[in-house]
Amino acid sequence: MRSRAERIEWALRAAALAGVVWSIWWCVSTGAGSGAEVAEPGAVHAALARWSTTDPVSAVHARFESVPDGVERDWLRALRGAGVRVGWSTGATTLVATAVDAEPIADPRGVVRVAVAAPRGAAVVIGDRLGPIDSAPGSRGGIVAFRVPGPVSGVRAAVGTVQATAGAIDSLAMRRVLVLAHAGWEGKFVARALQDEGWPVDVRFGVSPKGDVESSRSFVIDTARYAAVVAVDSGASGHALALERYVASGGGLILGPRDVAAVPSLAPGASAPETRGLAELPDSAPSSGLVLAPVVKQLPGAVVLERRDSLVTVAARRVERGRVAQIGYEDTWRWRMQGGDSGVAGHRAWWARLVAAVANVPAIERDPIAAADPAPLATAIDRLGAPSVLAGGGRRGADEELPAWLFAGIVVALVAEWASRRVHGRR
Amino acid sequence: MTTFTFATGRYQSGDWDAAPLVPPNLIDSVARYTTIEVAPAPVIVDLGSRELFRYPLVYLTGHLPFRFTTAERTAVRKYLDRGGMLFVDDHNHDIGGVFHQTATEELTTTAGRLEDLPNTHELYSCFFQFPDGPPATSHELNGWGDNLVHDHLQAVTRDGRIEVLYSSKDYSSEWGYRPDTKRFLAVDNTRFGVNIIVYALTR
Repeated sequence: MRSRAERIEWALRAAALAGVVWSIWWCVSTGAGSGAEVAEPGAVHAALARWSTTDPVSAVHARFESVPDGVERDWLRALRGAGVRVGWSTGATTLVATAVDAEPIADPRGVVRVAVAAPRGAAVVIGDRLGPIDSAPGSRGGIVAFRVPGPVSGVRAAVGTVQATAGAIDSLAMRRVLVLAHAGWEGKFVARALQDEGWPVDVRFGVSPKGDVESSRSFVIDTARYAAVVAVDSGASGHALALERYVASGGGLILGPRDVAAVPSLAPGASAPETRGLAELPDSAPSSGLVLAPVVKQLPGAVVLERRDSLVTVAARRVERGRVAQIGYEDTWRWRMQGGDSGVAGHRAWWARLVAAVANVPAIERDPIAAADPAPLATAIDRLGAPSVLAGGGRRGADEELPAWLFAGIVVALVAEWASRRVHGRR
Repeated sequence: MTTFTFATGRYQSGDWDAAPLVPPNLIDSVARYTTIEVAPAPVIVDLGSRELFRYPLVYLTGHLPFRFTTAERTAVRKYLDRGGMLFVDDHNHDIGGVFHQTATEELTTTAGRLEDLPNTHELYSCFFQFPDGPPATSHELNGWGDNLVHDHLQAVTRDGRIEVLYSSKDYSSEWGYRPDTKRFLAVDNTRFGVNIIVYALTR
C-alpha cells in the first residue's frame, strides 16, 4: 500500500502531465497554431507591412475591431496567395451582413435613392463625406430606403459596427417634360405639379380649331428634348405617329384614360368604364375619391404599378426602347385642390414618381470610386473565409496568459514532486 | 376632358350677385370661340365652403363694401395656395369708390399686394390679342364714371402666375347683357373674358 507522500507525488506527476497535454491541445486548437503571428486591432496595417517585407511568416492571424477594410482584406488575400496560412477574427460580438447601394432617380433636384440591407430593428445611419445625413431602424423586409437630396458623394451606411460605402453615383442627363392636353384643369395642374417639383415643362394645350396654347415655339416630340411626355384629356389626339416614334427611340410616355384610344399600340392595357368618384375627397386618402377608369386587359409584359382595392390604377410596359405608363384616374387636379392640407404635396409627389418611372434620363457614368466597399462582411468572407474561433476580445487576453501560468504550475508540480522524493530519501 | 364650370363667388358682405348676366355671357363666348368643354350653366359658390375648391377660377364682383369673414379669408388663402385664381371686378366705374377701397385692402390682407399688371403680360395674348393691354369699357370712355381709362389691371402673382386678377374697369357692366345681343356688336367685347378663362385653364 502506498504511503500518503507517494500518493501526493503521483498526484503532482499527473497534474504536470495533464498540464503538458492541455498546453499541446491549446496550441493545436487555436488556429494560429504554432508559429502563427497574431496582429492586434489597430496594428494590423503595420503587421501586414512587416509580414510582407522584413519578417516573413508561415501563418498569421489578424484581429479586427469589426470587419477588415478593403486594403486589409486584399493584403491578407495576397499573403494567402503567397502561401501564408491566414486567419482572422473580430472583437465585435455580432457582425451584421449589411450592404449599401446608391442610385440617382429621375428627379430634377438630383435626388439619390440609398438602399441599405439591415436586419429588423438595427440602427441604420447613412452619411457622406461631410457627415451624417439620416437614420432609421431596420424594417421587416430587410431593406431600409432613403431619398437623399443631391448632390452626395461617397455615401456610407453604418449598421452596428459595420460600415459600407456605396460605389460611384452616376449623374442623369435631365431633359424637359411635355404636357399635351386640351385646355382644362387637368393639364394645367399636371404641368404645375411637375414644375413645382423642378421639372422644366413645356405645354401644348388645345384651345380651338385655329390654334393651341404653347409654351415653346420649338415643338418637336423628340428624346433629345423631352425626358417624358404626359398626355391627358385627349391631348394625344393628332400626335399618335410622333408619340410612337418617340417611344420607340427611348422616350417615356404617360397616358391618361382618355388618351389610350389615340395610341392603342403603345398603351399597356385598355380602359374600363369609369367608376364614380366622390364629390368631396377624403383628406386621409384623396385619390380614393377620384373617378377611376381602371386599366384592364393588360398586355403581356405589362406590370401593375398601383392599385385601388382590386382595381389597377397604374400599369406600365416597355415598348421597344421606351416605357409607357397608363393611368386610370380622371381629374387628378381635384387631389390638389380638394385633397386637404396635404393635397398639393401628395398630388405633386404622385406625378413626380410617375414621371420618374418612365423618364428617359441617360446616365452620365463617372469613374469608379476606389474606396467603395458596398458589402464589407460578405466580401471579407468571400476573400478570406469565415472568421476563426479566436473571436472575442475578452477571451483573447486569458488565452495568451494561460500557457505561462500553466508552465509555472507544471514546474511547481515537478519541483514539489522532486522535493518530496528527496525529503523521503528517494531519488 | 375636364369640363370648365363658371363659378361666381358668394361672400357675406356686399352685393355679390350684382352682375348675373356676366356668367352666361362668358360661357357663351367660351363655347363660341374655343373647344373648351364648358358647363352650360354657371354655379354660385360660397367662399367659406369646401365647395370653393371644386372651381379653380372664381369670379367676384359688387358695388358695396367688400369684406371677407374669417372663414372666407381662411378658405381663400388655402384656395390660392393650392392653385386657385380669383377674378375680382369693381362693378362701380369710379376712382376710390367704396368697393375699390375695401376690396383692394381685403385682397392685400388675404393674398398679398396688388400690383399693376404689365400690358405685355401673356393674359393679353394667350388667345385673342390685346396689344394695348386691357380693353377699355364703354363706361370708361363715355364719362359716366371717372371719365378716365384705367391703363392697367392689377394682380397678385406667385411664381409668375396670376393668383388674383383685379379690375377697376367694370367689366361686370360691360359684359352684363344677354348673349344674343352680341350679334349687334361690331366686335364682341367679351373676348377679353375668354382670355381670362383660357389663361386660368392653361397657366
